[in-house]
Amino acid sequence: MAATQKERIVFDVAYQPQVRTNIDTPRLMSSVILALMPAVAVSVWQFGWRSLLMIAISVGSAVFFEWAYRKLLKKSATIGDCSAALTGLLLALTMPSSAPLWLPVIGTFFGIVVVKQIYGGIGKNFLNPALAARAFLLASYALYLGQFAVPSSLSGTVDGVSMATPLSFLYGGEALPGYFTLKTMFLGMRPGALGEVSALALLIGGLYLIIRKVISWRIPVSFLGTVALLTLIFGHEGYGHVDFMLYNLCSGGLLLAAIFMATDYATSPVTLNGQLLYGFGCGVLTVLIRYFGGYPEGVTYAILLMNLCTWAIDKGFRRHQFGVSKEDIEAEKAAKKAAKEAAK
Amino acid sequence: MAHTFKGGVHPNYMKAPEIPMTVMTPPPQVVIPMIQHIGAPNKPLVQKGDYVTLGQKIGENPAPVSAPVHASVSGKVVAVEPRPHPLGDMILSVVIENDYQDTPCTDLPPLTEEQLKDSDSILQRIRDAGVVGMGGAMFPTAFKIRGGIGKVDKLIINGAECEPYLNGDHLTMLNYPEQLLKGIELVRIASCVDKAYYGIEKNKQDAIDLLNSLHPEKYGIEIVPEEIKYPQGAEKMQVKAVTGREVKPGGIPSGVGCNVVSTRTCYAVYQACYEGKPVIERIVTVGGSAMAKPTNILTRVGTPFEYIAEQCGGFVRTPRKIVLGGPMMGICATTLEAPNIKGTSGVLFFTEEEDRHVDEPNCIRCGKCITVCPMNLEPVFMYMYYSKGDFENMAKYHITDCFECGSCAFNCPARMPLTHAFKTAKLMFQAKAAKEKAKAEAEAARKEAKS
Repeated sequence: MAATQKERIVFDVAYQPQVRTNIDTPRLMSSVILALMPAVAVSVWQFGWRSLLMIAISVGSAVFFEWAYRKLLKKSATIGDCSAALTGLLLALTMPSSAPLWLPVIGTFFGIVVVKQIYGGIGKNFLNPALAARAFLLASYALYLGQFAVPSSLSGTVDGVSMATPLSFLYGGEALPGYFTLKTMFLGMRPGALGEVSALALLIGGLYLIIRKVISWRIPVSFLGTVALLTLIFGHEGYGHVDFMLYNLCSGGLLLAAIFMATDYATSPVTLNGQLLYGFGCGVLTVLIRYFGGYPEGVTYAILLMNLCTWAIDKGFRRHQFGVSKEDIEAEKAAKKAAKEAAK
Repeated sequence: MAHTFKGGVHPNYMKAPEIPMTVMTPPPQVVIPMIQHIGAPNKPLVQKGDYVTLGQKIGENPAPVSAPVHASVSGKVVAVEPRPHPLGDMILSVVIENDYQDTPCTDLPPLTEEQLKDSDSILQRIRDAGVVGMGGAMFPTAFKIRGGIGKVDKLIINGAECEPYLNGDHLTMLNYPEQLLKGIELVRIASCVDKAYYGIEKNKQDAIDLLNSLHPEKYGIEIVPEEIKYPQGAEKMQVKAVTGREVKPGGIPSGVGCNVVSTRTCYAVYQACYEGKPVIERIVTVGGSAMAKPTNILTRVGTPFEYIAEQCGGFVRTPRKIVLGGPMMGICATTLEAPNIKGTSGVLFFTEEEDRHVDEPNCIRCGKCITVCPMNLEPVFMYMYYSKGDFENMAKYHITDCFECGSCAFNCPARMPLTHAFKTAKLMFQAKAAKEKAKAEAEAARKEAKS
């Protein structure tokens, strides 16, 4: 039959494996985007349709900058991996609804072009693009990022267009006004950046990501655990220790950062114990900045500082390969010691 | 206690053990390559024009690490020449025209009662019958068992069959349970140990129940049900799952008192000793998206892939890849002319459907390779140093401990060619070591000449 025809087939050759999981980069990135949807919904509820407009502008400009940079430099197109869209979304979620609409455009330019693409694009940046962009905007346009609009759920209770966040009360040493209860803060009825207000929405997203194994539990748990433990121990005058800890966990951008920013693949450690240390470091720095720093909120700089340590952490927390027992490790250490002494 | 190991992946298993094993009509012509094992190549014992009988020895090498090959059909030798080998290259092969008589060869009579209880006679027969590791490694079984005598206190039989698609071991358990247990008993007697542990993944519960109902303890066998996870069937993972022992880096299982023998090998040992039948056939799973449906067939060794594909219903789509063995560790054949050999557990014809190739993959540093590596390695860094050509750091990150199970590359969302890189790197290390050795030898020779 078609034997001659068959002989003409040139077969592909590849080393193993010949099959691969269907979970690829675009799918991982879009599941993070999906996990942020509850937070997006809360932002629309509390701050109106303007928040959606800001998110759209931020996502659109991030994708545009990534596309334009790769196109101009004749590199392969990467907007399909959804990571630029995610960066845009995350940046928008760290901004107050009252920020001008051009602000995210400047931010995404810095995040995508300077922080991410100049270092080689996805996976090669050493700072989280969204957080680095936020730090850049915080340094350049602090005014816009420091004013928070009154959320819709408090518009009857509070006069004016802007108001102070719970975190600024906590660190001003003032008592929290009566309309900030743990329940309202947990649900998201408080002023703040678009995506950070509802602890509940963020926890739902985080749980989804951990169950779907998109992120590991190590970084968020060690990060939040460290913050919880330190604020519980040190507390603050005028607050009960447990209350102070819970207020801390629910205020600022802590949950958004611990679940969605600190777990950024490219800028967090890949070694398992390294991830625990990284989360711990983020937690310690966050608390230190919250207690002693110039800004009320410390998570941005805490994570950026830990980003810089990622490489060293990964070097220091390597596992022993399969088959190396504890005795082997001790024997190796003893041999090294003996060699050192012999050299002396 | 769960019998398993750390790491590993859960691929889509695609198994079809419910499809009964069919016996394939032997092809009009078989091609028997002289290399069907790890070790010294065989030398042909027949010439063009000779008549050979079914099971007649047609190639052998006296070296201890080798295994003879036998005629898988009776008929006339029409050529002794290099032919395409399934693992690549042209290899000297004996081509036999099938006379469809299956005239039997009587060189290997069944062993006597006494011989069946004697380690040496069993080992001699295992060697004479050309039994090799039929899980795919094709290491001569007699040499492996002999090397373990005195060192090995736990014999492990590998029934994990953790590779997707493959059903051969499972069907062997279901179709020949008694013979299989007797085969394991023979391997146990040959290894001079009291007990064999038969590790079987729990997705073969029907086989586990069937074997348990036949009183495996009578044969000195204990069935160990294992978690379903790839690569459970890898030697080191089997040892870990069954005994809790960890093979040292660079070591082999006998270093920790274990030997691992595959299901199909044990059945071949049964056939060799009880029936006097050398390794001339094996069960092969044929599948992949180029085929209409998966098939489990008993084929003669030396059947060209083209004939196998035709017998299994032919291609419904043009295949792009011929994968030999399972898809996780299987390698690609380049031509349909090549025949199946003793270690071919599966022939999978893949099309674009299974292809997940990406032209310019970008590592996103997600670390998912690290969580699945059963050897506790860090593929993300190994790959980074590989792409820089940094040998020193590749060695520091233990790239040579990778046994190429493919879990990291399977799990990689960015589709990095991880296993491909590590395999290449290992070959580079081997070449480098050989070069250095040659250099040192030349140096020594020069010094000697001077003095």
